[in-house]
Amino acid sequence: MDSFFQQYWSDLTSLFSNSQQRLYWGYLVCAIIIAALYSLKKQPKQLKASISNALGLPHWLSRSARADYQLIIINKAIYLLCNPILIGKLSIATLIFELMHQWLGQRPVESDIPSWIIISAFTAFIFIFDDFARFYTHKLMHQIPWLWEFHKTHHSATTLTPLTVLRTHPVEGLLFAIRSAFVQGISIGVFVFLFADKVDLYTVLKVNVLVFIFNVAGANLRHSHISIRYYRAIENIFISPAQHHIHHSTAPRHFNKNYGAILAIWDKCFNCHCYSEDKPLSFGLSKNQNGNEQSLQKLYLAAFVNSYKIIKAQLGGCPRKD
Amino acid sequence: MKLNKLMTAVAIATLSTTVLTANAASNYADFPITVKDYAGDKKSSISYGGQIARHVLHTSLMKLSKTGNGAANPELLAQMQAYFSGKETGRAILSPASQEGFTIAQTNVDELSKGKNLAGKTYKGAVAGWPGNKTGVEVLEFLIEKAASSDAGFDYINGMDYPQLISKFAMGAIFYNQAVDNYLDEKLAADVKPNDKPYKDGAPYTGKEHVWDEAFGYFGAPINAAGLDANEAYSIAKGKKEIFAKADLNANGKIDLDTEMLYAHAYYAAGADKAGKSNYLNEITQAFVDGRQIITDAKGEKLSDDQRSQLLAKADFIKTNWELVIAEAAFKYAGSVYSDALKLQAGVEENTDVKADFKKYIHHWGELKGFSMALQTGGKDLGEFSVKLNRLIGFSPVLLGNTQVTGLDDKGNYVQSSSISLNEFALHMLKVQKALADRYPLKARLNDQSEKLAALAEKLGSGKSTEND
Repeated sequence: MDSFFQQYWSDLTSLFSNSQQRLYWGYLVCAIIIAALYSLKKQPKQLKASISNALGLPHWLSRSARADYQLIIINKAIYLLCNPILIGKLSIATLIFELMHQWLGQRPVESDIPSWIIISAFTAFIFIFDDFARFYTHKLMHQIPWLWEFHKTHHSATTLTPLTVLRTHPVEGLLFAIRSAFVQGISIGVFVFLFADKVDLYTVLKVNVLVFIFNVAGANLRHSHISIRYYRAIENIFISPAQHHIHHSTAPRHFNKNYGAILAIWDKCFNCHCYSEDKPLSFGLSKNQNGNEQSLQKLYLAAFVNSYKIIKAQLGGCPRKD
Repeated sequence: MKLNKLMTAVAIATLSTTVLTANAASNYADFPITVKDYAGDKKSSISYGGQIARHVLHTSLMKLSKTGNGAANPELLAQMQAYFSGKETGRAILSPASQEGFTIAQTNVDELSKGKNLAGKTYKGAVAGWPGNKTGVEVLEFLIEKAASSDAGFDYINGMDYPQLISKFAMGAIFYNQAVDNYLDEKLAADVKPNDKPYKDGAPYTGKEHVWDEAFGYFGAPINAAGLDANEAYSIAKGKKEIFAKADLNANGKIDLDTEMLYAHAYYAAGADKAGKSNYLNEITQAFVDGRQIITDAKGEKLSDDQRSQLLAKADFIKTNWELVIAEAAFKYAGSVYSDALKLQAGVEENTDVKADFKKYIHHWGELKGFSMALQTGGKDLGEFSVKLNRLIGFSPVLLGNTQVTGLDDKGNYVQSSSISLNEFALHMLKVQKALADRYPLKARLNDQSEKLAALAEKLGSGKSTEND
């Protein structure tokens, strides 16, 4: 039991101390600096006000933000308990590695391709594959009714803070963990099969260099009150924080837009892309969202009840009553 | 002045004690006679000449097994049988032999011990990993017979490298089996070979002292192996002249085969340790030294319960780690066979000359097969694990026409049947590595074909897995 608590505490604190986590203190500092500079640009010569605006203390104390904290604390324990039964990326990588021997019948023995090309290719491949998998899973979470019930926990946030990135129903969190295991396992298995020991990953602070750039470039502002917009040409390629705010908007015209995590190209391909707007937005499930949506009971249990009703209705062939 | 003298005396005394203690702790040497009323003129109670004689019988037999000319050779067969099951005097030590800058003291087996053979100490149980439902002795007799008519040890038609098969299996079926299933097992029981009696009448060692020595002898380490660097140990076994001065512990200008040479699994322990991830040679030898000290400290009396339990703990440590040494070797060669099989398949498809690659492939398979069979001779029922290992490795490697040895006919000839492809056999080797890694806490993991998978999985971390965008 002691080791469980030690591991739990370690997992919780590593959210801020581990550079592989989005909430790593260094990335949070980067986000605050970018937010302050952005505010300063909008309110020239008002440094103090800009810093205060960037920090946005009232947002951190909102009912919605407090619900984020509760979810994070409880979910960590759930993930820790479920971790041993989840399929790991190494198991998937090994399986893919073995299956490729059977499927292809021949493994390249030695590759003449320079190592730097293989490492660059692996670094880029896993970045793009992971980003696409995140986009597509996200899209499914919105489009499949019973999955949406679980994803609603995330969208019920009415104020966005960087910690909202972990405001997730545990069922959804476990689905994400499985998705991540498959993406990484497949990438490793395929590349090691093809290029053996030459495969490696370019990293900075133990993170894929491309993800690192995303993180220091203000990734945490995606969930924040600072709505940074990019030029349209850039918003066609990368999702700006303001575009992700559109995704959380309560305006019906913004529903089911901008599923992308880092790259906007997937939204372009699937016709769900939306440029940012210079208008204030409200966040949540709807404009008239009930404050009750922030209760733990609602955040955890409602998804089970509603998804059960949906699945039951679908299996029974009866039209669903909302 | 007095204080200075006093301090100097204390420093010298401390230093000498430290040196003596370190020496006593690390070398398997200088254990005094503790047998009560010993009347002989010996000064040391250490004796394992019979085991060293068997080591050189084994290395000489291996050397002979490489000398076949591809036709029936009764003379060679008789010579090999003399080293395996004969007891006659006058058998020369064919290996290790003196080479430039590395002179070996003994040239004849009798100089180490007389009347010894290998067959009498070979595993008598059934060997599931070899066709024909044979005992350990019968498997070695079969391999020796085949080696005598082989082409310099090789049978290219059936994919056999007899020197490797004989040597690696013999190490397990004789040395490992005798040590872990006999001397470090039932012979450590309180009422067997007790410590308050000489091993036999007139012997300068007690029952327990000699039992322990015999187990140490079978491990095959020089007396200073507890403090020996793995690369240096490896060089000694290879007879490198650069290491001669360090290997010649008594500075008599010659390497004494009973105290200064490395054999069998001690050599493979050093081979694993060279990678710097394990320390089998030093740790196993140190456990032998510590165990011997426990027995010596009993001063010729029966071991107390406490002493016996300490001794059994040392024996357990030795047995566990000895098994790991063999498993590490099997793991390494499974990795080699994997690479060889893929290279061979590529060569076949590109229609290039694969003779050299094929020789390397069956050589590595012979090592793997020998070690995997050795692993099953420790007196433990490995159950499903050994079945899996034997099936994956097969009775031969997969041959170029996708056939494999599946049994023996009534005349002892190999029977081949169609089998899997080389590529699928390579996959079997991955599964062998996985099975070994799942069962044993391996440290060295040489030629690990899945290492890169694990390293990348570790490197990618799990940071982003539950982030919600």
